[in-house]
Amino acid sequence: MKSLFSNKILILLIRIFLGGIFVIASLDKITDPQAFANSILQYKVVGPTLAMCTATILPSLELLCGLSLIIGLYPRGCALLITVMLVGFTILVFSALLRGLDISCGCFSQDPLVNKIGYQKIAENCGLIMLSVWLLFVKNQDINILQFLRKHPDKS
Amino acid sequence: MRKRELNMRLALLEALVLIVAAIVLGVAFTFVTHQGFFAKTQPMPPAATPNMEMISLAQAKEYLDSHNALFIDARHEFDYQEGHIRGAVNIALKKFDAHITRLNKISKDKLLVVYCDGAECNSSIELTVKLIESGFTNVKVFFGGWQEWNSAKLPVEK
Repeated sequence: MKSLFSNKILILLIRIFLGGIFVIASLDKITDPQAFANSILQYKVVGPTLAMCTATILPSLELLCGLSLIIGLYPRGCALLITVMLVGFTILVFSALLRGLDISCGCFSQDPLVNKIGYQKIAENCGLIMLSVWLLFVKNQDINILQFLRKHPDKS
Repeated sequence: MRKRELNMRLALLEALVLIVAAIVLGVAFTFVTHQGFFAKTQPMPPAATPNMEMISLAQAKEYLDSHNALFIDARHEFDYQEGHIRGAVNIALKKFDAHITRLNKISKDKLLVVYCDGAECNSSIELTVKLIESGFTNVKVFFGGWQEWNSAKLPVEK
């Protein structure tokens, strides 16, 4: 059981999965920061200036963390940041639900009519948080895609 | 325990590097693409549309005082929330389709006054074209827009 959780291939797959989610999530936000700032404003916790600061920096951070995690660069740093982002976002969604806000999540699309927040989103985030925390503390981080491909070249 | 401590310190250092890189990347990208804090609207000449009437600041003020007009702010919601003409509703050009249901509740001969940022913004004209195509017959464009209205210190709200 212990070796399963420390298995390098499993680590690699989960890095690719988590990193891929963050790369995809960042793309829509990077191309339209004003729309993302609007999504942030819907949560009614920060003003326009802070919303725009977040909209400027956060998508880039998601993209960098996602790509770095996939290629195996700074895996623990990425896992730490992803955990912080996920925990922060989950708290935000929970707060919005408690206040009765009927808003879009703003996670993958800035369309106000899709991806409405709900307890399902919280459950999904909790699952992702577990994965990122595991990546933060697991041993055997000295593996990346290039190393894996060199050790397992295509034999066809 | 010591190894775990070192791993956490390493994680924090890596995180710091990524944050700095993200700030640089985010600011540089929005600067180069003129978005976010560095956004600026493209100056374009007004489109010639037969049914479109351009009105002046004075006329716009008259319409506001008459309480007969519905002012429509064609800017992005972010700009609308920063400040808009008193009583104006926000129908951003990009989100026009999302407001169809709301627009259908308005009488087609209702006096509408559409504006955006000002002379360097064409969104008011493009939104007016869409409104006219949707059947509205009494649409005016206040081309001086938010900049002219706010500079004249006329009634605004956030």
